[in-house]
Amino acid sequence: MASLLRPSILRPACPSSAASQRMLSTFTSSSVKRTSPFAQQLVRPAFERSTIPQPTRIAAFHATQKMQILPPLPQTIQGTLNDPVPVPEPSPTHGSYHWSFERVISAGLIPLTVAPFAAGSLNPVMDSALCALLVIHSHIGFEACIVDYFPTKRVPLVRKGCTWLLRIATVTLGVALYSFETNDVGITEAITKLWKA
Amino acid sequence: MASQRIFQLGLRRMATPGFSKMQPAGRMVQRRLAGNMAAQEKEILVKQRLHRPVSPHISIYRPQITWYASGLNRVTGVILSGSLYLFGIAYLAAPALGWHLETQSMVAAVAAWPAFVKVGLKAFFAFPFFFHSFNGLRHLAWDFGVGFANKTVIRSGWTAVGLTVASALYYTLF
Repeated sequence: MASLLRPSILRPACPSSAASQRMLSTFTSSSVKRTSPFAQQLVRPAFERSTIPQPTRIAAFHATQKMQILPPLPQTIQGTLNDPVPVPEPSPTHGSYHWSFERVISAGLIPLTVAPFAAGSLNPVMDSALCALLVIHSHIGFEACIVDYFPTKRVPLVRKGCTWLLRIATVTLGVALYSFETNDVGITEAITKLWKA
Repeated sequence: MASQRIFQLGLRRMATPGFSKMQPAGRMVQRRLAGNMAAQEKEILVKQRLHRPVSPHISIYRPQITWYASGLNRVTGVILSGSLYLFGIAYLAAPALGWHLETQSMVAAVAAWPAFVKVGLKAFFAFPFFFHSFNGLRHLAWDFGVGFANKTVIRSGWTAVGLTVASALYYTLF
C-alpha cells in the first residue's frame, strides 16, 4: 500500500506530465496551478496509469431495444408496498347489466340479419330495428377496444378523447342511418342492390 | 501506515487554495443531500427498470385457434363497424362536399366497375362478416356455459373458419 503512495511523493517537481494533466482536467475548476506541489501529490504516477488497462467498451444491456413490442411501463409503486390493491366500486350498471345487455343485443342481431335476406322482402320497421341494434353493437364493440388498449393510468387524455370521439361518432351514425332510412331505401335494400349491381 | 498517508494527503488537499471550488469528475455527479437521497434513488431505479430487457411474449406465443380466432373476431368487427361508421359520416357530409352517396348513384357507380374489383370488394366484406357472425355464435354458446372443453373450443373454432370460407365464397361468387 505504501509503495503506491511513495513514488508520487518522491517524484521531483516538474512541468505537468500528460498523466497529471489528464487527472487535473476532471476538476471543473481551473484555479489549481498545474505545477503546484500539492497537485503532484494528488495525481497518479505515469507508470501506474499506463499499467491500468483502458476500460473495455460496455456492451449495451440488450441488443433488441428497437424491436420491442409493448415496451415496459414506468415501474413505480403507487403508495407503499403494504397498501392493499384498490378494489373498484361495484356497479351492476357497468358490470353485470352491461354484460347481459351486450349479449342480448348480439343475440337479437342474428334473426334481424338473417330474416330480410332469407325472406327477400323488405320491412322498414325490421330494417330500423336492425340499424338501431347495429349502432349499439358497434358502439359497445369499439368501447371494448378503447377500454382494452387505452388504460386511464397510462394515457388518461387519449382515453377520454377517444371515448368522447366514439360517442360523437355513434350519434352521428345514428342520425345518418335515420336519414338513410327515411330519405333513401334503407341498408338491407341498399346492400341487396349493391351486391347484385 | 497507508491510512496515515491518506489522512495527511487529505489535510494537504484541504490546504490548497480553491479546494472548495473543485468538484470531482464534473459531468456525472449529482448533488446528494440527506433530504432527497431516497427520492433520487427511486428515480434512478425507475429509469433502470425501463431499460431492463423484456422477455418476448406475443412474438413467441404458439399460434392457436383460440387466440387467433379471438383476435380475428375483434379485427373483423372493427373492419365492419368502421366501414359502417365511415359510410354514415360520409353520407351526412356528402351534400357539403359535393359527393353523391344515394343508393341510385352508388349502384350506378358499382355497376360500372370491372368484375375483379366487384369480386374483390364483395370478398373484402363477406369474409369478415361471416367470420364475425359464426364466431359470435361461438361466443354466445360460451356465454351459456356451453363448449368450454379445449377440444370443443378447437373444433368449434375450425368449424367457424370452414363455414366462413364456404359462405363467403358462395356469396362472393354467386
